[in-house]
This record gives sequence, structure tokens and C-alpha cells, in this order.
Amino acid sequence: MGDLILFGPERCVACYACAVACMDQNDVDPSRGESAFRAVFERESVRGGQAVCDYLSVSCMHCEDPYCVKVCPTGCLRKDQETGMTVYDHSVCIGCRSCAQACPFGVPRYNDEGRLLKCDGCHTRLKAGYEAACVRACPHGALSRVSKEAFALSLRRKNEAIMLNLYGR
Amino acid sequence: MPLESVQELIRAKIPGPTTGITVKQTFCDICAPGNHCGIDVFLRDGRIIKVEGTPGHPHNNGKLCTKGLASRQYVYRQDRLRVPLRRIGPRGEGRFEEISWEEAYAEIAERLNGVKDKFGANSVVFFTGYSKWYRPFYQRFAFSFGSVNYCSDDSVCNNSGVMGMKTTGGRVAMPDLRNTRLFLGWAYGGYYSSHLSPNGVKGLKARGGKVIIVDPRVTPAVKHFADLHLQLKTGTDGALALGMANIIIENNWVDWQYVNNHTYGFDEYAAYVRRFDPDTASRLTGVPKDLIYEAARLFAQTKPACLNPSGSTVAHHINGFQNYRAIVCLLGLTGNYDVAGGNVPGTAETYIYKGAGFPMKSVEFSRRGRPRKPIVGGERFPLWDELNEEAQDMDLTRQLETGEPYPLKALFALGLNLKMFPDTERFKRALAQLDFIVDVDLFQTDSAKWADIVLPVCSSFERTDFKVYGGGWAQLVRPVIAPLYESKSDTEILFDLVKALGIKDPLLEKGYDACLTYMLRGSGLTLDELKAADNKPIRSPRFAPYVPGTYTKEGYDTPSGKFEFASQVIAKYKESHNLDALPTYRNPFRDEKNPEESRKKYPIVLTVGARIPFALHSRFHDVPWTRSFRPEPQVDVNRADAEEKGIAEGDLVELFNPTGRIRLRAHLTDKVAPGQAALYHGYTEANGCELVDAGHLDPYSGFPAYKSNLCDYEKVKGGGR
Repeated sequence: MGDLILFGPERCVACYACAVACMDQNDVDPSRGESAFRAVFERESVRGGQAVCDYLSVSCMHCEDPYCVKVCPTGCLRKDQETGMTVYDHSVCIGCRSCAQACPFGVPRYNDEGRLLKCDGCHTRLKAGYEAACVRACPHGALSRVSKEAFALSLRRKNEAIMLNLYGR
Repeated sequence: MPLESVQELIRAKIPGPTTGITVKQTFCDICAPGNHCGIDVFLRDGRIIKVEGTPGHPHNNGKLCTKGLASRQYVYRQDRLRVPLRRIGPRGEGRFEEISWEEAYAEIAERLNGVKDKFGANSVVFFTGYSKWYRPFYQRFAFSFGSVNYCSDDSVCNNSGVMGMKTTGGRVAMPDLRNTRLFLGWAYGGYYSSHLSPNGVKGLKARGGKVIIVDPRVTPAVKHFADLHLQLKTGTDGALALGMANIIIENNWVDWQYVNNHTYGFDEYAAYVRRFDPDTASRLTGVPKDLIYEAARLFAQTKPACLNPSGSTVAHHINGFQNYRAIVCLLGLTGNYDVAGGNVPGTAETYIYKGAGFPMKSVEFSRRGRPRKPIVGGERFPLWDELNEEAQDMDLTRQLETGEPYPLKALFALGLNLKMFPDTERFKRALAQLDFIVDVDLFQTDSAKWADIVLPVCSSFERTDFKVYGGGWAQLVRPVIAPLYESKSDTEILFDLVKALGIKDPLLEKGYDACLTYMLRGSGLTLDELKAADNKPIRSPRFAPYVPGTYTKEGYDTPSGKFEFASQVIAKYKESHNLDALPTYRNPFRDEKNPEESRKKYPIVLTVGARIPFALHSRFHDVPWTRSFRPEPQVDVNRADAEEKGIAEGDLVELFNPTGRIRLRAHLTDKVAPGQAALYHGYTEANGCELVDAGHLDPYSGFPAYKSNLCDYEKVKGGGR
């Protein structure tokens, strides 16, 4: 069980607030080549003769059954049952980079000692009653946190609405 | 608790007795006083370890922008000034020796008083850039010293719009987004420059309201909000507003009840507006006729409707002031001035530009004893001079160069930013003629390198500060960390200098608490109450929300007492300065600075100052977190234009025009229209103002044309990515 961090592209403007909050929370040091655990970017395209931008903020997906956890030989990576986040124990990492090979989203990175660095969903903050730093900071409501139950329910409601719309009553 | 758990809690920065992490409240002072959001500062061992927005704060309710969130690195920037410095190398080189505060004060007093004795106090110019928190104290300080030449970034920011509002309706009127049905977002970006403002627009959209965005570029606001996007040519805002007025009058969508009872000069205005038929408006602005028609129809037929009073974007052209006035006139034409859901004149200024709905004596305090003129810029920009209590510093370059009407000899600055001045290199050469320059700053900036004495100041986290917020709120904060190094607060420095200079002023001689106590008169709040609130905002018992329509009943603060399509204040300067009482339109480029051949030779229209979310003027270019998102300065160029010039994404390009040339990376985009380019300002190594002509100023406001520069660009040889 646990929670999901949701991203709503319809509200994002690539303002980087989430990235700065992540850097502040995790003491990220760009002068050592480090970057936030959340990547912000915009992707431009032309639709119907008009320039259109997609604004995106992407981080660890905290997969339900993650490949990175499966391949980790030392148990450094694991799912945190209470929060649902994919967390890691820095001290056990041997820098084998199996997780980077396995992750379909290219999330794992390594510090200058070769040890894993990635978003841990701010799981300690969540347990202490705080919000994940990026979610807490997002000024425009593009990032939110919901329980898996609530998310499943909302998906179901959305699908029902689509079906009703398609097939009527 | 096991040790590793405590370590983990400390790593996660969880406050509590086990971790020794505490949270104290203060506010951000990085941008303009319109914001200054409440901040929760997480502290451990006397150091800031993290910040968050203060939940429930009356202004920002827990949310900070990208810049505010980077406060920790801003406060602890590596180039923070540590001790007072005296220049030992040539100006601009950056060689200094460390001196004591006493030595610095003694030298400043001797030099400034020396200029005053020999040339008169007006030969000392008192300038302020950011921040703005000390401004009432500083303006009074300059006046008490005896100089009328107090000036600031107001000469290039926001005040042109304020003047446009004052000459038309008498007061600044803000959009009432909560009660409106349509928002005309003229030059509205919002997301990157005013992070809380999109909430009001979102609320309107959620209620089914309409939004029109007028912007030469495609921005996030266009994507998320625009039902209509009028992508006009840069600097043609006035032609578009007059074109909309033409359609509104021709179709008889005018609010006659309002126009007949509460406006002045309508017939003259309507006669002038006839020149801007849809074909003409479309030709001038590049906006299709049917779009202008649809925007005019929606704006006039949706009641109530409001519009965005752009801070500076509209104003940064040689025709900017009149363009702004043409836009404001749409409010009078449709009866949307001083009505709920329209643009509502707020309450009077409470403290530092902000109306909070309760009275204070800050305006009286700051303007006490204003010395006699002539003031810098007063002769050249008489409308500015009439409507502002400060010099128009865009005329500094000329007066420094010519010494007319009198020589300037010294510059005292809090937050000097040379890159604010168009044709910065020319301004630097002009500055070199000064006998003495003082800069009081947080950082060792390139501007500070031009000063003879540099004094280190502290940030808002390290000082006592006071702020007011809409809804009747006031907040006094004490320092959350001790001042770094030997730095002092701006006001502490000013009060020390009052003594050193021997300035006679009964309040300034007594210090901060005495001054604030004076200014709080009539507010219903006392200094003791504010101090007892422990850095939290409290509400004034004198708070009285403004009721729309009150001002209309009382009559407006204009010579006619009405909404003036034809401004009687401006009319006074027709003979002497050829200023028009009507919001007349002229081409932003066709003038003596841009002769015909030059317009052909430099076909690209460059906007200097197109906002990005992770910078605030020059203040974040040296903050590692925010700088990491765009390590190198960049110019947004139209994709097709660039490809034609053989320029690829990330190529190093040189922008040039007769004023100057700069090099930076090209970003190819379709968000910028063909023939246009846009860049962010304030970079030392690629200062956009090098391409802005110092004499290309709006004759009404004195504002520079930051946003309409003719130039061209080409790939630098060997400058590929």
C-alpha cells in the first residue's frame, strides 16, 4: 500500500520550483555535477500552425514492482511498505549500476564516490507528517500526492464517465 | 531512538527536539514589494538548512516561487561582501582593500559633505536598486541631506503604468479577478513573474469565464488560459487598443451611462479612434481583423470585464506610456473602471507601494522636506516630474556627460546595478567622471567594482523588517540568523551615516524604532504589538475594505474629477514638449534613432527582459541552483529565421546594432514570431542593455525602449555546440 506522487501536465509551466525545492531538501550541489532528483523541461512542437509547449516535471516513478529493486544485489534498493516509495540505503550501495541498467526511465544517478543517488519520495518526511518537498513547493498544483486507493477510485470514476459518455444511459 | 533514526531525521530536516531543528518565520525580500512572501526558515546550529512557504500566510499561503525557494543559496552566496572595502585599482577592475566601518563612514562623510559644500547637495545623486524595503528611510535620508536627486529603478519599472492610470482615472486600478467574467490579459505572463497571480485566472476559468491574452510570444499563460491569443507585433499595443475602441464605438457597444456621466474628452477621443479602423489596426499590429473584432466584442459585451495592468512590459517602448493609456481607456469606454469585477482602484498606499486597506504615515515620512529643484530629468521629462517624487534617472547619462543644468559629482547607491542602464558601456564612461561613488550591496557585483567605497549589507533573514499585506495585515520580523560576516542592515547603515554626516533630522537621528513608530500613526497598530507577535502577521483594527463605486461617487483625482480620455495633466505639456492629451499612437521604431536605412539593415526586433522563471533581474545569475538550469545566457530566436542564417540550436551567436554587440547561445523556437528575438537580461557576460540606446526614451515617462531594439544576429565563427 502507500501513496503515489502524481504529475498533471495540464497544470505544469516548467517553473522549476519543484527542482529547487528538491535541491534545498537534498543539499544538491551543482558544482559537483549534481542535479535535482526531478528533471524539468519543456518540449515544443507545432500543432495546427501554432507553437505549443508541453511542460514536464519527471522523477522516479516509484514503480509498484520496480526492476531496480529486483536487480539490486545488495538490498540497497527496496520498496517502503508504509509510504509506497522506492527507497535506498546509501551505505549498502556497491556502485554496480545494475539499477541504472534496469530502470526504464533512466532515473538512477551516482555521486562522485559512485554510490546511488535518486529520489526517495521524501519518505522520512512523509512518515513525520510532512509533504514531499516537490509536492509541497509546486505553486500551480501540478504535483500532488494521493493514496493508491484514492487513485484507483478516481481512475475508475474517470473510466465510468468515459463509458457513460460513449454509450449513454 | 536509535542513532541511525536520529541521523535520518536530521538528514530529512525534520524539526523537533531530537534533531535540534527549529522553524522560524520571516519573509522573502528578493523581488518587488508586491510580493514578499512569508517564509518558514528551518534552522540548525544557527544556520539555514531549508525554507518553505509559510502555510496560512495572508499573502502566499504556503507557496513560494522558484527564486524564493532558492533563498538559502541566495543568502549564502559565495560572493557575499564581508567587510567594508576601499577601491585601490582602477574603477571596474575590482581591486579593493579592507577597511573598518569607522574609516568607511568617515571617508563617506568627508567626501559627500565636501561635494555639498562646494557644488551644492543636488550634485550628490542618491540611487536605489533592489531591494526596496528601506525606501521610505532612504528617500527621507537623501532629502534630509539636502539633495532632491533621489532616484531608483522606478525610472524604468512599473511607474509608467502608474502614471498612465493616474492621468486617466486618477488612481491605479487593479483587476478584480474574483468577481469578473472576463480577463483581458494584456502582456500577461503571470506564471514566471508573479507566481500567485495565476490562481485568480484559474478561478475565473473554473467559473466558465473568458480570457484573452495579448502577447507577441507564446507563453504558459497562452497555453493554459487563452480563449483568444492576440499575437501582436512588439510595441504596437496602442494601435491594437485603439483598433478595439474603434470596433466598440462603431458597433455602439459603448457603456453610454458611464461615458456620459463619468468621463471627459470622449468626443475628441472618438474622433481620433476613427483612424484605427479594423484594416488599419490589423496592418499596424499584425493581428488578423476577425481576432481584433472578436476580442473587442467579448471585452465590451461581457460584463464585468477587467484587464491586466502590465507592470512594465507595455511601458518599455518609446510609445509605451501612450500605449498603456490607450489600453486603460478601454476600461472607461466599457464602464469597467471602479466596478466590482472590473478594475478597482485600491486603497491608498499604506507602506512601500502597497495599499493594505489601513492608513500609515509612510508617504509623509519619506517625502518630508523635499529640497528644491532642478532635479535630474525634470526639464526633459516634465510629466514624470509632475507625477513622481523622484528623479528620472534615465537622464543621468546625459547630465553626467554635459554637466547641464549643473554638474553631478557623487553617487551614493544602495544596490547599484549598472546593467539597468541602457547602453551600459556609455553609462560607465559617464560615471567615470564622478569624484566619488559609494555602493552598499549584498554581493561583490560588477557594479560594486565601480565604487570607491563598498559597504556590506545583510539579507532580509538577518535584519528587522516590516511589511504590510492586502486585507489589513502587517508583519514585523526580527532576524532569524545573525548578520553574516561584518554586514549590517541598510537602515542601520543609513542611521550611522546620519550621525557621520551630521544630518539634522529629528526622527532619523533616533533610529529605526522611532521612525517606524511615527509611520504607524493612524494604523491602529503599535510597534510593541508587532514585536509581541513573534514574527507573525497581525491584522490592523483599522482595516476597511474598499467598496467599488465609492471613488466614482466622490469624483476622481483628475483635474476634471472624471475619467479622462483626454488628460488635462498631459495637455499642459503640448506646447513645451509636444505631448498629446489623447492616447495617440506612434510607430515604436520610426523615429530619428531608427532612420529608414537602419530599419532595413537591422531587421530583427529584440526584446530585452523576456522573463524566465529562475531569475530576478541580475540577482540569481550567481546562485548555483538556479544558474544550473541554464548555465549560459541564451537568446530565443525564431526557428525559421535562424535556419535561414545557418544557425542551429545552441550555436554561439552575436547580436549587434549601432549601440553594441553581445554573444550568447541561440535557442530556436516557434514561440517567438519571425523577425523577433527575446532574451533575459542582467548577465554580466551578455548584458542585453548593451543593445539598448541610452537616448531612445519615451518622452512621456522617460522609460527606455528595452523591449523594442532593432538589431541583427549571426553565428560566431567556430561557435557551434
